Amino acid sequence: MSSAVLTYEARYEDVYRHAQSLAAGGPDWLRSLRSAALAQHQTLGIPTPKNEEWKYTPLRTVAEMDVRPAEPGSALFDVTLPSWSGSKSRIVLVNGRFDRNLSEVPAVPGLQVSSIVNALIESDGLLTLHLGKIASTEDHTFAALNTALFEDGVVVHLSKGAEVPEVLEIVHVTEGDAMIVAPRVLIVAEENSRVQIVETYVTNGNATSVTIPVTEVVVHPYANVEHVRVQDEAVTNHHIALWQVHQHRDSEYRSYNVAFGASLGRTDQNIYLDGEHIVTRLDGVVVANGDQLLDNHTKLDHAKPNCNSFEIYKQIVDDRATVVFNGKIFVHQDAQKTDAKQTNQALLLSPTATIDSKPQLEIFADDVKCTHGATVGQLEELPLFYMKQRGVPHEQAQAILVYAFAAEVLELISNDEVKHNLEARLFTKLGIED
Amino acid sequence: MLEIRNLHAQVAEAGKEILRGIDLTVNPGEVHAIMGPNGSGKSTLANIIAGRDVYEVTDGSITLNGEDLLEMEPEDRAHKGVFMAFQYPVEIPGVSNTYFLRAAVNAKRKANGQDEIPTQEFMKFIRSKIELLHLPQDLLTRSVNEGFSGGEKKRNEIFQMAVLEPVLGVLDETDSGLDIDALKTVAEGVNALRSPERSFVVVTHYQRLLNYIVPDFVHILKDGKIVRSGGKELALELEEKGYGWLEENLAGAK
Repeated sequence: MSSAVLTYEARYEDVYRHAQSLAAGGPDWLRSLRSAALAQHQTLGIPTPKNEEWKYTPLRTVAEMDVRPAEPGSALFDVTLPSWSGSKSRIVLVNGRFDRNLSEVPAVPGLQVSSIVNALIESDGLLTLHLGKIASTEDHTFAALNTALFEDGVVVHLSKGAEVPEVLEIVHVTEGDAMIVAPRVLIVAEENSRVQIVETYVTNGNATSVTIPVTEVVVHPYANVEHVRVQDEAVTNHHIALWQVHQHRDSEYRSYNVAFGASLGRTDQNIYLDGEHIVTRLDGVVVANGDQLLDNHTKLDHAKPNCNSFEIYKQIVDDRATVVFNGKIFVHQDAQKTDAKQTNQALLLSPTATIDSKPQLEIFADDVKCTHGATVGQLEELPLFYMKQRGVPHEQAQAILVYAFAAEVLELISNDEVKHNLEARLFTKLGIED
Repeated sequence: MLEIRNLHAQVAEAGKEILRGIDLTVNPGEVHAIMGPNGSGKSTLANIIAGRDVYEVTDGSITLNGEDLLEMEPEDRAHKGVFMAFQYPVEIPGVSNTYFLRAAVNAKRKANGQDEIPTQEFMKFIRSKIELLHLPQDLLTRSVNEGFSGGEKKRNEIFQMAVLEPVLGVLDETDSGLDIDALKTVAEGVNALRSPERSFVVVTHYQRLLNYIVPDFVHILKDGKIVRSGGKELALELEEKGYGWLEENLAGAK
C-alpha cells in the first residue's frame, strides 16, 4: 500500500501536533474518538489515484500544501453571506467555529440549536449518542482528520413532533490560506419531526485552504427532512466532504447536492436506510468550468425491505473542467421489494471538458427493482436551431438549454425562495444574465 | 421581397444534392404554396431559407428585401423578419413559452436598435395574441412544446409567429399529422396574420391545407426543381390527378 499514498507528513506536522493536543482534552469518549480518528487518518494517509475511490481526483495539491490548523476567522466580512430562503435567521460558522455575532437562531418550539463547544460543556447526551457514530471515518481519511481536528461546530436537534416552518440555514465560511478547516455538523430529527435545511459552504474572498466538512444526520421514524447542500466556495479553495445520513423506518429524507465551487471539490454522500418504508432522494446539480474538478460519490445502503430511493444527478462541464460521478447502491440480502432508481446525465460543453461516470449497483436480494441510466452528451443541434430561428442569439440559446437541463433538479426543491435563488445563482455560474 | 435565384444545395455531410436550381420570387402580401412528393426537396428549401446549417448551399442566392440571407446566422434572419413554423416543433423542458418568447422578442428589438419591452407591456401584448388566435391562456406558462399534442405544437408555432410578427412566414408541412379541426384552427391563425406587407411560403404535401389557406401561387417541386407553377387551381388539379399525373405530364412534355 505504500505506493498508494503520497508523502505529505512533514507538511502536516503542525496540524497533527494540534490534533494530538485536542485529543488530550475534553470528555473521555471524545478523547478516545479523536485519538482513534487520528490513527485512522494516519493509516489511510492521503491516497494517490491508485486508490480506486480517488482514481479521478488527484490530491497532489492537497498533499503538497504546507498546512496549519484553522485559525479563528476575522469578524470583518467582505462577503455577503448567502441567504437562499430570504429568512433572517441563520447559523454561521467561520472556519468551523460557531459565530454568535453573525448567527441568529430561529425561535421555534422543539428546535434546539447549539454550538458543539456548548453542547460539550452541557454534556449533551446527543453528542455521545451520535457524534462520530454516523460518519464512517474508517474509510474516509479526511472525515477521520475532521474528527481529530474539529474545534467546534453545530448541533441541530428537533424534538419529537417538532415542525420548523421556516428554512433553517447553516452557512459555513472558510477564510484564509493554507489551513485545514474542519466544520462539523450533527443534525438529529426525532420521531415525526419536520424540517428543511440549507447548508451552504462559501469562502471569504479567494481562500486557498482545504475545507474538510463532516455532516452527520439522523432521521428517526416518521420524520421528514429536506436537506439542500450548496458548495459555492471560491475556485481557489479545496473542499473534501463527508455527508452521512442514517434513516430509520418510515422516514423521508430528500437531499439536493448543489456543487458549483472549489478548485477541487469532492463530496461523499452516504445514506443508510435502516428500516422499512423509507423514502430517500439524493439529487445533484454540478456545474464545473475553468479548471475545476468536482467529484461526487454517493452510496446508498438499502438494508431493509420496502424502501424507495430516487437519485438524479445533472452535471455540466465546460472549459477544461472535470466532473466525476460515482453512484453506489447496495441492496442487502434482507432488502426485498426495494425500488431504487438512479439517473446520471452529463452535458459536455467543450472539447477539453471531461466526465468520468461510474454507476455501481450491487444487489443481494432477489425481489427488487433497481434501474440506472447514465448519459453523456452535448447540446443537440435541433433545439439550438429552433431557438435561434426564433431570434435568440446562439450564446443565449445555449445557456437557456443548459440552464433548463440543470433546473430540472432544482425544480424539485420545495421552498420557492430557495429554488428561485438557486436558479438565479445557476444563471450567474453559467455566465448568463436573467 | 424574397428572391431565390438558381439555388443549389446539398446535405452538408452526405454531399447529396437535394436542390438543383430553384428560382422563386415572392412579393409582399403574397402566399406561395410549394407542393411536391416526398423527397422532392420542399422541406429542405424551407430549412435553407431559415438558415439550418445541416444543409450546404453550393450555388445561387437568397435575398430578403435585397439583403443576402445566406450570409446571415439563423438568429439574424429572424431579426430581419424570417419565421419558420417547424414540421416537428422542438420540446424545451424547463423553459416557459413566455420566457422563451420574451428572450426572442427582446433579441429582435435589440438587433433593431430598440429597448427591451417592459414586462407588463409584453404580457399584455402576448395575451392579445392569445385572444386573437383563440388559444388557451395556459400556453403562456407551459414549457415550450413539452408534452404538447401534435395539434398543440402546431398551434404554438402559429402563436409564436403571431408574437414575432415576421415579414416572411415559412410553414414547413404545418398540416402534417393534424386532424381536420386542428388544421382549421391553424389555418385560421395563419389567415388572421395575413396582411399586405406579410408574405407566406407554405410547404405542403397535400392540397387539403390550401382549401383553408388559399394561395396566390402554387409551385410543384420535383427532384429539387420547380417543374410547374400556376394559380391555386394547380393544387386542385394535382389533388385530383395525383403526383403520378405529374410524371406522365412531364414525360409527355419532353
